[in-house]
Amino acid sequence: MRLSIVKRQEPLPGGSFFILAGALVFSLSISALLLALQGKSALGGLYVLWHGAFGAGYALVDTILKSVPIYLCGLGVAVAFRMQIWNIGAEGQFAMGAVGATWAALTFPEAPAALVLPLMFACAALAGGAFAFIPAWLKTRLKVNEIISTLMLNYIAILFLDYLVYGPWKEKRSFGFPMTAQFSDAAVIGGIGGSRLHWGLVVCVLAGILVFVMLRFTRLGFELKASGSAARASRYARMPYDALVWTVMAICGALAGTAGLIETSATVNRLQPSVMAGYGYTAIVVAWLARLNPLTIALAAFFLAGLRVGVENLQLELQVPAAFGNIMEGLILLSVLAGQFFQTYRIALRRRAG
Amino acid sequence: MTIDLLIPLLAATVQAGTPVLYATLGEMVTERSGTLNLGVEGMMLVGAFAAFLASTATGSPWVGFVAGGLGGLGLAAVHGLVTIVFTGNQVVSGLALTILGSGLAAYLGTPYVGANTPGFGHLPLPLLADIPVLGPVFFRHDALVYVSYVLPVLIWLLFARTRLGLALDAAGENPAAAKAAGLSVPGLRWLGVLAGGFLVGLGGAYLSLSYTHLWTNGLAAGRGWIAVALVIFAFWRPGRAVLGAYLFGGVMAFQLRLQASGTVLPSSLLLMLPYVLTILVLLLSSIRGRVKNAPAALGANVEPEG
Amino acid sequence: MRRLLSFAACLLLVLATGLAYAADKEVKAGFVYVSPVGDAGYSYAHDQGRKMLEKDMGVATTFVEAVPEGPDSERVLTNMARKGYNLIFATSFGYMDPVIKVAKDFPDVVFMHCSGYKQAPNVGTYFGRIYQARYLTGLVAGSMTKSAKIGYVAAFPIPEVIRGINAFTLGVQAVNPKAEVRVVWTKTWYDPALEKDAAKSLLDVGCDVIAQHQDSPGPQEAAQERGVYSVGYNSDMSKFAPKAQLTSAVWNWGVVYKYVAEQVKKGTWKSEDIWWGMDKGVVDIAPFGPMVPKDVQDKVNAKKAELVKGQDNIFAGPIADQKGAAKAAAGQKLSDKELLGMNWFVKGVIGTTE
Repeated sequence: MRLSIVKRQEPLPGGSFFILAGALVFSLSISALLLALQGKSALGGLYVLWHGAFGAGYALVDTILKSVPIYLCGLGVAVAFRMQIWNIGAEGQFAMGAVGATWAALTFPEAPAALVLPLMFACAALAGGAFAFIPAWLKTRLKVNEIISTLMLNYIAILFLDYLVYGPWKEKRSFGFPMTAQFSDAAVIGGIGGSRLHWGLVVCVLAGILVFVMLRFTRLGFELKASGSAARASRYARMPYDALVWTVMAICGALAGTAGLIETSATVNRLQPSVMAGYGYTAIVVAWLARLNPLTIALAAFFLAGLRVGVENLQLELQVPAAFGNIMEGLILLSVLAGQFFQTYRIALRRRAG
Repeated sequence: MTIDLLIPLLAATVQAGTPVLYATLGEMVTERSGTLNLGVEGMMLVGAFAAFLASTATGSPWVGFVAGGLGGLGLAAVHGLVTIVFTGNQVVSGLALTILGSGLAAYLGTPYVGANTPGFGHLPLPLLADIPVLGPVFFRHDALVYVSYVLPVLIWLLFARTRLGLALDAAGENPAAAKAAGLSVPGLRWLGVLAGGFLVGLGGAYLSLSYTHLWTNGLAAGRGWIAVALVIFAFWRPGRAVLGAYLFGGVMAFQLRLQASGTVLPSSLLLMLPYVLTILVLLLSSIRGRVKNAPAALGANVEPEG
Repeated sequence: MRRLLSFAACLLLVLATGLAYAADKEVKAGFVYVSPVGDAGYSYAHDQGRKMLEKDMGVATTFVEAVPEGPDSERVLTNMARKGYNLIFATSFGYMDPVIKVAKDFPDVVFMHCSGYKQAPNVGTYFGRIYQARYLTGLVAGSMTKSAKIGYVAAFPIPEVIRGINAFTLGVQAVNPKAEVRVVWTKTWYDPALEKDAAKSLLDVGCDVIAQHQDSPGPQEAAQERGVYSVGYNSDMSKFAPKAQLTSAVWNWGVVYKYVAEQVKKGTWKSEDIWWGMDKGVVDIAPFGPMVPKDVQDKVNAKKAELVKGQDNIFAGPIADQKGAAKAAAGQKLSDKELLGMNWFVKGVIGTTE
């Protein structure tokens, strides 16, 4: 008898749920064990984590708010990844979107919301999208690999944002601290019905639906998939490969730029370097974990955001160091990833023939 | 800039380039065998910690150096497990590895912050160190810098002259053909992942044993990501990796010295230099038609056999 | 009878203490740090203060470390307030807007924001005049340099850092009018290798004393390796470079924390701006290294004695900026407001504030 790996005829029905649950049980057990090793209550720790992330109304709101930028960026990179454009530049596009929106908000401080907010959205999407054209141009015209160009451009965009808030855009009354003036009330995305949940959430839902429809029902979506899954198939597509590259980069840039706008306007209310919290990189994990599906990206973003919010509670209540949160996150991601294996394969006991 | 400033600048270039060079070469070996491992930053951090711990415990920097490699290798093994055995997505696994590695190094390392390491001291090479210009630039460093001179040559020899190197390339370029030729693709990829992780870990060891002689958290500070970019910059060739690592280290060292000599340019713009230059050099290679593509099967997992 | 009397006295005493306790509010203090506390830098210094508060006053405390200055801090602050912490110290400048926002929702919680300038009925601000310590270290550095060139590795061009460089330079020039201070910005708070290399770049242009406004001891190590002197920051860094460190500018936050906690406990707390210096012991210099000659020590100690008495004339005119333009005439003194918003270098500094 020996163990062998057999490919399933069909993916395990309802499998993703069981796999996710299994992977969670596995990685959380290890985390609990690590907690116990530090002399903290293992079960208590997990409860504190859960409670901080999903266990109360306010915690849920926190988690949802944190997942907004992650989701938008994740959606963007997923579109690019679908056609195997390895765009890791969401971070830089996020920064440029924030810069674009801030330009609009600072240039028209008197404008009413009905004018300035749409303008900010347009500027953010344009700035993010245009910035994403640089790697697109480098790739299609000059064959420069997009992983390196997007990574380098991330650093450049963040330094450019720094330059603006340390230099020309620095508020005079901020005692020299690196930040722009506070946005006018009109330029701040407000809460839905007075709650802490802001309208950026609605933008997420709309963006999610649009991308879903585009991928599922339009010719563009089909061509993206075709050129992604086999370079040859795209030859039969109506759209040339280069144009597709430009399109996906523009979509990703616009979505990441919008995320930058929402963070800047709705939560920080001004531009300052700390608006960059690495969501562009988190988005890559989220997009792949969700297998590039717009709906599951929402779940993955929500889950990861919850984990990060919950870990803060763990710090607060049990004095667990921040680094422990990273260890947990890494373990959970790796085990969920490894667990996906069982969706397509199973391990069978096989009697040796003869 | 006068020669008395130029020589320290070039010497600093070599020093700043060395950890990145180790990591770039490591990631290169991994990628040429077909696995993309974005966890370089995490592996460097764990390598740096393992190196510190072992050298402090034993008092021998060389033991620390090897331990740093093993630390990187250990984390790389997790990547191998997830991507080669469980066919998990290489991008996510690598990114998760960075999160896990930085967490582990910070969590385990915090109690030791500020502890001194018996690291490597300066070791001017006899005769060579006295050559004008070249001597102070290349031959008045520590032992780990000299090791990094030999490494690219060895890796070049491995891929250009040995059957093993050919087999590794085959696993990265065309796994199906490699399998048909009777090679074990998973075995070769394991080798690539582990050997690469070892080299990346050595880069981390350089940070805690040579670059600084005391343990603090966050030693890698983004150098792992630079290494990921430089592998592409180098077109997966060891020679160009040397160029890339020194170019990057050099521009960073240059902008600091430009500031020290009293320039009035805003520092944000100066700090952009290394990144802009990396893109520009790539552009130039591209215009001159020297672009080489990634290993064809890079990032694609191999289906497990039934 | 006597026993009865003493019994009654005892009873009274117990009652009195009981009453006194009843009038006191139980203080639970929460701390929000921008970086991990284990790094021997800025957050470490604050955490030493927290421990002092716990030890000396028996106040229950907690902390959350590595909290980014953007929207994440708002959530952490809110959760602390929600969990019943009635005194919250936000220890980094970037928490300013979030503190003001959160404080509105929790009027009964006292918020203390470090290094900011916005106050509210339940938000006070605090900081320390670390520039006084910087000035003293400048006196030491100016006395010890032979090349009349001193290097300063600095993090970000914000007023706090610029003010420190200026005070240091004024100290240097008070004893060595020809000496200059060269500044290199790293744009990192904590990158030991880069900061060490920045120090080396200063040594290469002939500097023979290295000062720093960084959280890592990298620059100290560079100085030690080249056999020159150094001046540390945050806490005594002599363990990193025993042969190089002349002295350090150090924080002693516990003084502020105990004062505020006492006020909250008694119920006498009022929103105020605490900007204390050496007179209260919030800032100090570390013990001199053995290489500092007796006469230098005496000179510095004499100046320190003035500062301890509250005689702070560091930024008294005549003060000129880098181009020689007068910023304060003789007999004038820069106001606290001018100090808080300082974004120019004094004469003698080589470098740019951008």
